[in-house]
Amino acid sequence: MADRYRPDSEPTTRTLLQRVLDTADLRTPRRRRSRRTLAQRTFLESPASKRLSSQTKTTTRRRSHGARSVVRLAHVQANGDLEEQTPRTLLKNILLTAPESSIVMPDSVMKPVEVSKVVQSSRQESSQGSLELQLPELEPSLTLAPGLPAPGKRKQRLRLSVFQQEVNQGLTRSQEPPGNADVSSLTSSLSLTFATPLQPQSVKRPGLARRPLTRRAVDIGALLQGLRDNSLASAPPDIVLEDTQPFSQPLVGCSPSVHHSLPHPSHIGIEDTERAVSHRRQSIGPGQQSHISLPCSELQPQPPEVTEAVGSQEVMEARKSKESSEDEDTSGRPAGPELASSTPDLLKTKQPHQFLEPPSLPPGVAVLSSEPLESMPVRLPPRPRTAGPRHHQDPYKAGLSYYAKLFSFYAKMPMEKKALEIVEKCLDKYFQHLCNDLEVFADHAGRKTVKVEDLELLMRRQGLVTDQISLHVLVERHLPLEYRQLLIPCAFTGNSVFPTQ
Amino acid sequence: MEEVEAEEQQGFSHQQRLKAAVHYTVGCLCNEVASDKEIQFSKQTVAAISELTFRQCEMFAKDLEMFARHAKRNTISTDDVKLLARRSNSLLKYITEKNEEIAQLNLERKAKKKKQAEDANQSSREPAGGE
Repeated sequence: MADRYRPDSEPTTRTLLQRVLDTADLRTPRRRRSRRTLAQRTFLESPASKRLSSQTKTTTRRRSHGARSVVRLAHVQANGDLEEQTPRTLLKNILLTAPESSIVMPDSVMKPVEVSKVVQSSRQESSQGSLELQLPELEPSLTLAPGLPAPGKRKQRLRLSVFQQEVNQGLTRSQEPPGNADVSSLTSSLSLTFATPLQPQSVKRPGLARRPLTRRAVDIGALLQGLRDNSLASAPPDIVLEDTQPFSQPLVGCSPSVHHSLPHPSHIGIEDTERAVSHRRQSIGPGQQSHISLPCSELQPQPPEVTEAVGSQEVMEARKSKESSEDEDTSGRPAGPELASSTPDLLKTKQPHQFLEPPSLPPGVAVLSSEPLESMPVRLPPRPRTAGPRHHQDPYKAGLSYYAKLFSFYAKMPMEKKALEIVEKCLDKYFQHLCNDLEVFADHAGRKTVKVEDLELLMRRQGLVTDQISLHVLVERHLPLEYRQLLIPCAFTGNSVFPTQ
Repeated sequence: MEEVEAEEQQGFSHQQRLKAAVHYTVGCLCNEVASDKEIQFSKQTVAAISELTFRQCEMFAKDLEMFARHAKRNTISTDDVKLLARRSNSLLKYITEKNEEIAQLNLERKAKKKKQAEDANQSSREPAGGE
């Protein structure tokens, strides 16, 4: 290998070693142990380790090199025994077995197979007395996937698919011989995939795996059919304009079904349009809850309830569902996330955890309608909603469904309905207490507005803010920049501080 | 260094004495309740209750100080105490009643003092006027 053409003048470790080996005379006997590996050898024209490859260039004399390398590889094998190895032989082995770099020719794609194999077998041979010195040299050379052109000297693009195939072939073949632990680990580290890997899901606990999103295509025919059915029930302009109303069409024979994909006209779909139009997140819970609860009791939704539900949505928006009565809406709440998940396309503000809800649905749930799909292409401006009589119970509880969903998301396990209800109850009490405290604190300081000091006092009582940890520290830790700017005084241009103290 | 240690020890012994006092009081109360309800209190129970009371008192003190500071005051007032006790309704009622009683007492005392002061003034004036 000394007669390899090396245009660059700077000597590499490899070249130096080579020269040393060539000039000095050999001491160890040459023995040819195995012939089988020889037959498989071909010219080692494959990219070497990053360090070495960057220094070398292609050669034209393949055959001679091949022969030489074969011979030298034989030497490598021959000198596999521990007692026969000297440092010299070790170095030689390193030089011989480290794959050399080359400018990539089309054949080189085939080479990685052999290279890995060669290295494999050489390692195998020397496995009995596999000395430490050999291994670390070989490993870095293998860490760069064989077949990958030298980073700086890429002159031909490999087709990734081809490359991948070759590598996998090489790896599978190289895994045939009874394994060294090292070798197998190396080869496994080489297994490349250019496809995005699936989410690793531990086999031991399949329950923790996240269910993949099941999006079902909307059937246009069924959609139109549903529209026609709808139009029969009420005046067409009502449907078109008042698509935000939840109960615009009473369904005759609307059998509550559990399937998501079939677009049946129902009040729930309108909820989604409202949502889509108004870009609200909270409306998902309250809207659906209040709307779903009603059909359970009566199949004929009425306009006043429609407006009321709509109004309740607005109310929900304004309030933060802090004060609520202890009313339980068992059917509504779990249905909410279900229905929300069935209109992934419509939701502009998606909540990923909605899709993870357990598939159990109460029997009274109706299916999504075609309404939302129709209204989207129509894109009419939302009608001004009239605030109807307030539904005192549902909106209060309804707003908590958002937090209950968060809870079920972070639980990573399917949750019972009853468990969710109790969670909501607890959250309800918690928020009630919280706001009560804040009000009292503000009053205690002789104020009528709740301010940051009141919240700091509350957090101190909760134990979040201590003598060691101040509120500012917590703000910095947990809040995004936009909120942090509002809370912690920061100097802006012109030496103005915001918020002013 | 030694002073600090000595102070620490003093504080510690002080704390121990306080704890002992609390324990004694709790024991007495438990005995009363035991004789009342005809039920026995084990020593561990009494010890647990006293430890609990002691720690709760510490928390109360800290909270009261926080409340007073929140209202931008330097002294702890009855308002702070009422704020502290707002959780349990019965306790809150009791405290407010007591507070009212005390307020009334104060008013009465003030009225008495005023009267006395006036009397004293009158009496001092009369002799002065008389002279």
